[in-house]
Amino acid sequence: MRRGFLLMLLFVFLMSFFSFHVQAGTVLEPPQATVSGTVTDTSGNPLAGVNLVVESKNIGTISDFDGSFSINAGPTDVLIFSMVGFKSLTVPIAGREEVFVQLEEDVTVLGEVVLNAGYYSVSERERTGNIATIKADVMEKQPVANPLGAMQGHLSGVNIVQSTGVPGGGFSIEVRGQNFINGVTDPLYIVDGVPYGSQSLGSEDISRDIVNSDISPLNAINPNDIESIEVLKDADATAIYGSRGANGVVLITTKKGRAGKTRFDAHLSTSLGQVSHFMDLMDTQQYLVVRREGVSNDGLDGFLGVPAYDFYWPDITLWDQNRYTDWQRELIGGTAYRNNAQLSVSGGSERTQFLVSGAFLKETTVFPGDANYKRANVHSNINHRSDNDRFRLNLSTSYSQEDNLLPRSDLSFQAYTLAPNAPALFDEDGNLNWENNTWDNPLAALEEKFGVKTSTVLANALISYELVKDLEVRASMGYTDYSLDSYRTLPSSARNPRFNFTPQSYSSLTTNSSKRNSWIIEPQLQWKKDWKKLSMDVLLGTTFQQETTEQLVMRGTGFPNNSLIFNLTAADRVEVRNSADSDYKYNAVFGRVNLKLLDRYILNLTGRRDGSSRFGPGKQFGNFGAVGLAWIFSEEALLSDSSVLSFGKLRGSYGTTGSDNIGDYQFLDTYTVTGSDYDGVAILSPSGIFNPLFGWEVNKKLEAGLELGFFRDRVFVNASWYRNRSSNQLVGVPLAATTGFSELTGNFDATVENSGIELDFRSANLSTETFKWSTTFNISVPKSKLVRYDGLETSTFANRYVIGEPLSIVKLYRSLGVDPETGQYVIEDYNGDGNISSSGDLEWIEDLAPKFYGGLGNTLNWGNMTFDVFLQFKKQKGYNTLRDNTVPGFRRNAGVELYHDRWREPGDMNTYQVASSGLIAGSNNGDLQRRSSAAVSDASFIRVRNISLNYRVPHLENGLDVNVYLQGQNLWTFTKYKGPDPEQTLNNRLPPLRQLTLGLKVGF
Amino acid sequence: MKTIVKYLIMKWNSLYGKRCLSIIPLIGIMGCTAFVEVDPPKNIMVSETVFNDPSTVESAMADLYFTMRESGMVSGNYGFTTRLAIYSDELDYYGFNPQLLEFYQNRVLPPNTEVLAWWSEAYKVIYGANAIVEGIEGATDLEESEQDRFMGQALFVRAFMHSLLVSVFGDVPYITTTDYAFNNQVSRMSEDLVYERIISDLVRAVGLMENSTIENEERLVPDRNVAKALLARVYLYTDQWDLAEAEAADVIGNFGLEDELGMVFLKESMETIWQLQHGEFPGNTQEASQLIIPFVPGQSFALTDGLLSAFEDGDGRRSEWIDSISNEEQTITLYYPFKYKARFDVTESLEYSIHFRLAEQYLIRSEARTRLGNLIGAREDLNMIRNRAGLANTTANSESELLEAILAERRVELFTEQGHRWFDLRRTGRATAVLGMFKPDWEDTDVLFPIPEIELEANPNLLPQNQGY
Repeated sequence: MRRGFLLMLLFVFLMSFFSFHVQAGTVLEPPQATVSGTVTDTSGNPLAGVNLVVESKNIGTISDFDGSFSINAGPTDVLIFSMVGFKSLTVPIAGREEVFVQLEEDVTVLGEVVLNAGYYSVSERERTGNIATIKADVMEKQPVANPLGAMQGHLSGVNIVQSTGVPGGGFSIEVRGQNFINGVTDPLYIVDGVPYGSQSLGSEDISRDIVNSDISPLNAINPNDIESIEVLKDADATAIYGSRGANGVVLITTKKGRAGKTRFDAHLSTSLGQVSHFMDLMDTQQYLVVRREGVSNDGLDGFLGVPAYDFYWPDITLWDQNRYTDWQRELIGGTAYRNNAQLSVSGGSERTQFLVSGAFLKETTVFPGDANYKRANVHSNINHRSDNDRFRLNLSTSYSQEDNLLPRSDLSFQAYTLAPNAPALFDEDGNLNWENNTWDNPLAALEEKFGVKTSTVLANALISYELVKDLEVRASMGYTDYSLDSYRTLPSSARNPRFNFTPQSYSSLTTNSSKRNSWIIEPQLQWKKDWKKLSMDVLLGTTFQQETTEQLVMRGTGFPNNSLIFNLTAADRVEVRNSADSDYKYNAVFGRVNLKLLDRYILNLTGRRDGSSRFGPGKQFGNFGAVGLAWIFSEEALLSDSSVLSFGKLRGSYGTTGSDNIGDYQFLDTYTVTGSDYDGVAILSPSGIFNPLFGWEVNKKLEAGLELGFFRDRVFVNASWYRNRSSNQLVGVPLAATTGFSELTGNFDATVENSGIELDFRSANLSTETFKWSTTFNISVPKSKLVRYDGLETSTFANRYVIGEPLSIVKLYRSLGVDPETGQYVIEDYNGDGNISSSGDLEWIEDLAPKFYGGLGNTLNWGNMTFDVFLQFKKQKGYNTLRDNTVPGFRRNAGVELYHDRWREPGDMNTYQVASSGLIAGSNNGDLQRRSSAAVSDASFIRVRNISLNYRVPHLENGLDVNVYLQGQNLWTFTKYKGPDPEQTLNNRLPPLRQLTLGLKVGF
Repeated sequence: MKTIVKYLIMKWNSLYGKRCLSIIPLIGIMGCTAFVEVDPPKNIMVSETVFNDPSTVESAMADLYFTMRESGMVSGNYGFTTRLAIYSDELDYYGFNPQLLEFYQNRVLPPNTEVLAWWSEAYKVIYGANAIVEGIEGATDLEESEQDRFMGQALFVRAFMHSLLVSVFGDVPYITTTDYAFNNQVSRMSEDLVYERIISDLVRAVGLMENSTIENEERLVPDRNVAKALLARVYLYTDQWDLAEAEAADVIGNFGLEDELGMVFLKESMETIWQLQHGEFPGNTQEASQLIIPFVPGQSFALTDGLLSAFEDGDGRRSEWIDSISNEEQTITLYYPFKYKARFDVTESLEYSIHFRLAEQYLIRSEARTRLGNLIGAREDLNMIRNRAGLANTTANSESELLEAILAERRVELFTEQGHRWFDLRRTGRATAVLGMFKPDWEDTDVLFPIPEIELEANPNLLPQNQGY
């Protein structure tokens, strides 16, 4: 290891020596006459950043922001103008001193769209693998704080769900379905070439109730700093990531400076966010009717007048019977404001470009109180290449800081369930009202603080040098440092006074201080050679990576008073809840060989040999590889003149990837320091059973694709079919308790298959000088099944999975509705034993994974106005409100349908059973119905995810560029689903908000 | 393709040695197996190293006591004390926790999570004890006296946990290895055989701890006396009267009764044989926090009328070990056990959770002596307990009268302590007669609890389920 590092340093040192040498040896030609002019597009808008070279001379420049340029060239020279997205133009100077040039947009840009494939880049035209991409222009239209938020619905095969509407929360992501039984679906995230740990370092003890412990490190990345995101999906694209590519790879590329005049950009925006859909709940009168009915049906009305039992039903006997509060408006009905400001400076010469940008964001919540989330980002980039183009250097650094202050628990559950006649939140003096200790005031949660601060540093350098013609040596080096400090306070003042809690006996502060840092070094060698008919691109590289993670969770209990609660040193007793560190080391050799014959037959071979410290001796190494093929058949003589078909490609790939996403040290036979003690002796608790046979999970991916372009690629279709099979599954094999452990993580002979069809479509419907209309559409139809699982019937997964069905199924009872005679729910007794029990009657299967999903976007361009609409759609089933509320009359509010559609007397045909107080265990409690087929229903939706209207102020002097925009996110949802949100169906999480944003961009 | 890769790997390996994964000679950087081997983190220890140092073995032992206190059958929060008190006739349950209602109404179902926790937490502790037994056997760096002490304590814990399991589940597996493959498919063993194993482990433990000194001033860890106290109890439960008498007599010789009833449950009490120290928070026993009613309404448990009326007039325990509370309107009054008096909000540490105390040993010996025909000795023992409570000598004369009197005395002396009442009803075959009278859902088969449903699924060798479930 040490030796490798020293060699690396030597390598870096040598590189800088070369660059010095190169610069010193370059001689510039003496100036000649000056030619100046302007470059515009066909509509007359000035074009900035157009590359401009004098043919056959080593002179070049770049047009400024108003499109102007000046260059030293002789009267007989020829100028070549080029820019991505436009056709290149060759213009003889012919003695002129001023030259005006119009560049024509190139619709057939396929060959020039370059995709980042990680270790290499590939043109859209020649790619053999499946790479989905979203660029800055699409992301900028969406007012979101997390990059994953901007991707929702835009990429085929990528299913992203926002897990909470609370700022700073996380997202779940699945690339082509769930491959592994252990449920880990996180893809590998690479930011500018550096692997970025996406796993939350949050502690259950602190953030479980507010952000589900999921403090997503991706929140630290400012979406406005991102140039593009690529998602690698098939074997051809992912096999080069070997053991970490099984769940796909997400490549995030940050923005770079562009050559030209130094440019300043300011971007300001303000968003208003609100809960988009409130549920229709019972009012006080309806609520009390069913409550009393429930108590009476249970035969408890005799106790209603007995004070000893009042605490079971204060809503009926003690509280104001006419009071009404709409708790949804009260607790989650506020407006969340988000203010965003970003300033950036960029520019540079043709050889050296830079970008520095700083951003600040502040977002409040819909809850009462002053909770808020703040984020500051600084991003910079320098790009340099030597005069002879042999040496290149790219340095990027990002720093971000987040500061999130929230109530310690999400108030949504209270908003949906609090009795509508529950007492006032505050008494006359403005203190929390406990109504004679008869309820737990929900706003007490605001006294219980949750705070998290993170800081993230991301730095990477890419250095390359062309040793000899066609042979380039390069090194990518990266460093990430993520630290998180969070706390939660539980002051005694937030608890019902009847408990007599004092700061000394109850108040506590829990803190979590966690760190993760990693470094990576990847030296590489690339050899490219073009012959007449054949070109070849060979890449060979090696990876050294180390990641260390530390977490320290402490709890202090007993404070002299509640104002000292933020200070751990003031605590009476301090215990360490968790003190953990882990070390992950990773080493690999990887390579790629790309062969292109006659510009239309392409072979792409990739491979990787991986070693990971997560596995035991002898099991650390694994080999992965893939072969990709493409045939651009539109280049064949037969089709090359076709006026309809402008592009046609068939491609396919097959290969293996793996997953070591299972945590560190799982193979060891260990004792763990738990942080507790007994009589002063620190405790060592058995934590692992020795399992040396612990190895990689293997994922084999097969893909075929067809890409067609029509009418000069104005209409473009990309269709793919895939089939991924994952085996050697690492699962917690459940053990009988007599072993002392509940499970053992080991490789299991089970195979999961994910297959599907994805379709991407885009078209330029209309394109005139003043009006343009383009459409994008994508749809994914995934299919998943458990192909094989030896011994499933006898395993404890017997009640969860079924061979031939997906992993996303749930097994339920079958509801037969309400018996009109008894008013009770009736459940199908599958095994006919007269009992309804989990062992024989959970036979109804529902799949909760989407059947298909996708997005439809339209962009209209009319002069200086741009209008975008993006619809997201998903066909799926989900848990409905019956999951939470099945029986009318419980001491919690529920949907008004429980009032209207409840059974009352024999002969009634209703959806909901007879009312019950819920106080008698085992009867009338609707538990079986809650876990029945009735609790799952259609949760499909079409959502207007984004509308954006942008106006570019025309005809401004001095290169001033002003844009004003109005954007809406998550505006309307069309669905039959009854709960708060069809995507995120838990009733204790704030649903994603509807947001409206007004923004201004100024550049000069 | 595959063969080419294989060939290349072979080539590298032959060139640069097996341990090195590969080399890119041009760059000259090596990747070796050594790079991807990591040291264990600071909060994890590999088992081998644990058993080579007495202080880390002590830490592994501490985990057993900690787990017992915090979870499962022994703990004040989830254990026998409250659960078996509502299952029998000591406490009424006022809450609506469905799991506990199943206990209160004697309708426990196989999926009951409380019962599952009893089962799985017990075997977790047993695994820990077996790991220590095996670890000590393989340890090379421990002194012999240390080995004996740890081995004795681990064997005691193993026997103790099995004695609790067998008392509520009947036939259970007796686990003596850490081998998960074996334990995962283990079968149940007859109750008699389980008791045989318990006794043999305890006899061995007593022998091992005979000569080793155990620093145990506060009686927080098991020692020789504790093992003997459990032996006495197990002999009583298995009708081995002479052995029960002998073991109880040994223990009684080493302790003395407190004169004051108020002293019995303090942590300094001299009649305590083994107690578990409370955690940092709450700062006193879980039993007190569970049983003391802080305000009415708001009660979970309260003493049954039946138990209250079981006290004779003038019984000091009725006033000293029981307290009451009324609601604001003074319309209802509830009684609760007040043996432990300090709840979690008392910041000073006053009491520990007592698991073996001398009074039980007197009552064991009294019962054993009765059975052996030594009625005078039996009365002496019984009167020790009665007199301490301020009651006159027993009037029981015949063997059967004495057995009744001892049972009645056990009810009022050991009430709401680790389910003694329940086990007395069960071992004397009176459960149905006593409980069937006023517990409407009582069935004969309720003398055993169901084996947790998911355990039967995980290991079908545990079938059949206990009768009645």
